[in-house]
Order: sequence, then structure tokens, then C-alpha cells
Amino acid sequence: MTGTLPRDGGTSRRLNSLLEVSKALAVQVDLDPLLAVILDKAAEVMDAERSTLFLYDPKENVLRNHVSGELARHAVVVPLGVGISGHVAQTLEPLNVHDAYADPRFNPSFDRDTGFRTRNILCAALLSHDGRLVGVIQLLNKRGNAAFSEDDETLLRAFASIAGVAIDRTRLVAAALESKAIEEGLRLAHDIQMGMLTRRFPKGKFDMHAALEPAKDVGGDFYDVLETDRYIWFTVGDVSGKGPGAALFMAITLTLFRASAAGLEDPSEVLGRMNRALSRDNDRMMFVTVFAARLDRETGQVLYSNGGHNPPYILRADGALENLETSLSPALGAFEEAVYTNAEFALRPGDMAILYTDGVNEAQAKDASFYGIERFEAVLRQLGKNDAESAVTRVVSSVGVFAVGAPPADDLTVLALRVAKD
Amino acid sequence: MEIREERRDNVLVLAPVGRVDSNSAGGLETALLGRAKEPKLLVDLSSVEYISSAGLRVFLMLARKVKESGGRLALCGLGASVKQVFDLAGFSALFAIEPGVDQGVSRLSS
Repeated sequence: MTGTLPRDGGTSRRLNSLLEVSKALAVQVDLDPLLAVILDKAAEVMDAERSTLFLYDPKENVLRNHVSGELARHAVVVPLGVGISGHVAQTLEPLNVHDAYADPRFNPSFDRDTGFRTRNILCAALLSHDGRLVGVIQLLNKRGNAAFSEDDETLLRAFASIAGVAIDRTRLVAAALESKAIEEGLRLAHDIQMGMLTRRFPKGKFDMHAALEPAKDVGGDFYDVLETDRYIWFTVGDVSGKGPGAALFMAITLTLFRASAAGLEDPSEVLGRMNRALSRDNDRMMFVTVFAARLDRETGQVLYSNGGHNPPYILRADGALENLETSLSPALGAFEEAVYTNAEFALRPGDMAILYTDGVNEAQAKDASFYGIERFEAVLRQLGKNDAESAVTRVVSSVGVFAVGAPPADDLTVLALRVAKD
Repeated sequence: MEIREERRDNVLVLAPVGRVDSNSAGGLETALLGRAKEPKLLVDLSSVEYISSAGLRVFLMLARKVKESGGRLALCGLGASVKQVFDLAGFSALFAIEPGVDQGVSRLSS
């Protein structure tokens, strides 16, 4: 609080009023009721006929009014430096105008519009605890035909410092609540996303497993496995970007895969149909890299098509590691006319295919170095004796150990398919 | 994100500087799309050392906008790792890509 308090006859009454104001403002965390209390109490403590309040809008660098009672419908925007309130907002010093109509800064249009007759004005800036401009409060017409005194000025300073801090606090509270709501929304999106992923994998001759480690923000990785009598369909994909938009796009992509793979013959047709659906009206140009494959249980042949995704690895039974060659078909969602082609590889007993997303090789350590392809391949070479689940676990924990202490930057997905030895 | 800008003949050359990831993609998007109405636009990526999938999306949006307004777009100066990101996503064939600014300008001027 600044200044000394008035010592005239009404001192204790007004001091008590100020204390009451202070208490009333302390409990109010919503802006509108708070402003109502401030306006009421200001008029009461200052013996004024009316009070008006302008909030500072730092974006536009203007004041916007909040008026009590029947004047509330008159919206006013005041640039800084203009009029009585604009002057106070600029200098942050109170202004005591004894005769409003004699002051060139006074704007009489408000009186004309409302029929109110302003005689005198006491105006002070509302400041936050760290001295930022929050708004301006104006008291109009001291009751009893007098003008506002120097003591009134001091009292208003005290009042304004309490009110400014209280208004600023409601904004901090609102911002905190909003960020909490966003956080909860993101968590919900993440839970829905995780809930869409299958947890049932083929076991036996064809042994599969997959894991998706989500980043802190919701991301757009996915995998899926679909079994029919003759085939096992599987896919891994990665939506560009992060956040709820990516999660939503992931959900659409996964749904399209399930709908398409169930009815179509081969992976290139599946990607083509998914791409056409995703490209339509895609103004934000979201895209998703998708590797989709169809394993024939009879022959062990895998027919696949790749839309811009990291080529999978095959660890052969003899320990050789192959990086699958794939065509350069684009990721899905960007170009409606894109063409997808099929290619094929054979999985023999003891072989293992490993699909992944770039959350693996682009994982970063605390010192910002990348996990990288070499490290990934070195880990893959050691997986010869692992079943699908332990292979996936070993890759995920290797990345986890590497990136320990660094925030997870991206989703990370690993899917393994191992053919049992005869 | 810093973007250097120069005019070469009748081609506007934009050169973003730094990493294009999900943090900087928004700023790059605003800056590049604001220039999408240029009849001839060359984006020089020689000062970009990293580009994420969120960054790729910005170039797809730019390509679409330029096409809509009847302009022409080329990219140049792609380093090995940036080129690999375009290649892996299968997008390299969809852009006019030249080695350097000179070639990019002459391609758009032809």
C-alpha cells in the first residue's frame, strides 16, 4: 500500500471500509463478481455517486470499460493517453479533476449518451503486485456537492492497490484453470488413443507382439494386427505432428485400416483407399506414414506396401540383418492421386520382422544426441534368441536407458513378428 | 524462426535458418504461407540442419497454396539428412528440388 491514510473525522469509518474491501476482495476469484464488488465498495468508501472501471487490454494497448448499473450496455474503448482515464493509464499517477467540463481531456459524449452529469472525477490506476497496469478506476461526483479531496486521493491509491492485485489474481487463477483443463483434455485424448490399440497378438507358429510408448504430449503413432483364416494383417504408422489433432488423425487412420484390410485383397489397395479418404478436404495437410503388410499363414510370404514409412528390418535365422527395400510411395493424406505398389518377402522358420517408428532412432539423450540407426541395428542383431514379446521389450528398454532423464520427445512404437523354428 | 529473404530476378528466395521441428513449425508455417501468393518462390534449405514430420507438413501446405494461386515453387540446398526425411516420406518426387539457389532460380525463370 502506498501513501499515508487520511486523518480527518471520518478516518476510522473509512479505514474500516477499506479493511472490509480488502476482505471482500480476498475471497473473490471470479472476475465479474469481483469487479462488481470493487465498483460498489469504491463508490461507498469514496462517497461518490458513480464508479466506473476500465480494464487494460495489453494486446491492443487500450482500456475497455466495465460500468456499474444501468450504464453497463455502453461499451467504451479508450486508447492510452486519451481522456482522463487514458491519461492515468499512461502516467500511472492519480488525477483529481475538480471541474470535469473545464478539463480539455474530459470527453462529454458519455454524459450526452446517458443523461448523467459529471461534475468532478477522481481517477487512479489499478496495478498488479509487480507494478503492471491492470486497469483504471474512476469515481464520479463526490456526494454533497464537494470535490474530491487530497485525502480521497490517498485513500483511492490504497484502494486501487488492493483492487489491482485482486483483479490480476483472478486472471492468474483463470489461466491456471484453463491450462489444467487443457492438460485433462490431452490426458483423455491419450487414454482414448491407447484404448484403440489391440492387446491381443497371434501366438504359436507366428508369434507377434507390439508396444507403443507414448510421448508426454499425445502423439500419432499406431499399430494394429488383424487375423483372418488365411492371413495376418499388420501395420505400423506415424502421424505428422503431435497433440490432439495428431491423435484424432491417428484414430481415423486406424479405423480406415481396419475397415479396408477386412474387405480388400492386398496392401497396396488398402493404402490407396486409406490415402484417398485421408486426402479429401485435408486443408491442414496432416499426413501419416503407414507400413501395411499381409502375412500368408500357409506360405510365410509377406505382401506389403509402404506409404513413406521407415523400412522394417528382418533378422534372419542365421543372424543376418536386412533392412527391407521399399518403394518411395508418399505418406498418406497429402496427395489424393498417389499410387501405392506391393512388394514381397518370405519369412522362414526362425526369422523375425521388426517394424518401428522414428521415435526409436530419433530418441534423444539428455545431451541431445540421437539414439540413431547404428545403435538400433546393434540391438536388433542381438535378438536372435528372443521371442516377439521379449524382443520388443529389449528394444524399448534400450531406448529408455539411452534417453533416461530426457523428456520423451515422440511416440515410440515397435512391432515384432517371429516365425517359430520347426 | 529466422528466415532470410532476397529477390533474385523475379524469384523470391526464402531461407529458413535452424531446426524445423514441432516447436518451430508453427512460425515457419505462418511465414511461408504468407508468401504463398508469390508467382515464383524458391525455398533454400541450406541453413536447415534438421526437419521433422511436422516440418514436412509445412512444405506440403505451401505447395498446395502455391498451386492454388497458380504460382511455382522449388526447393534447393537440401542437406543429406533433410533430403533423407523428404525421401523417406516419399515426398521428394512431389517437389521441384534443385541443388543450389542458382539452379533453383534458373529453373523457376525458365
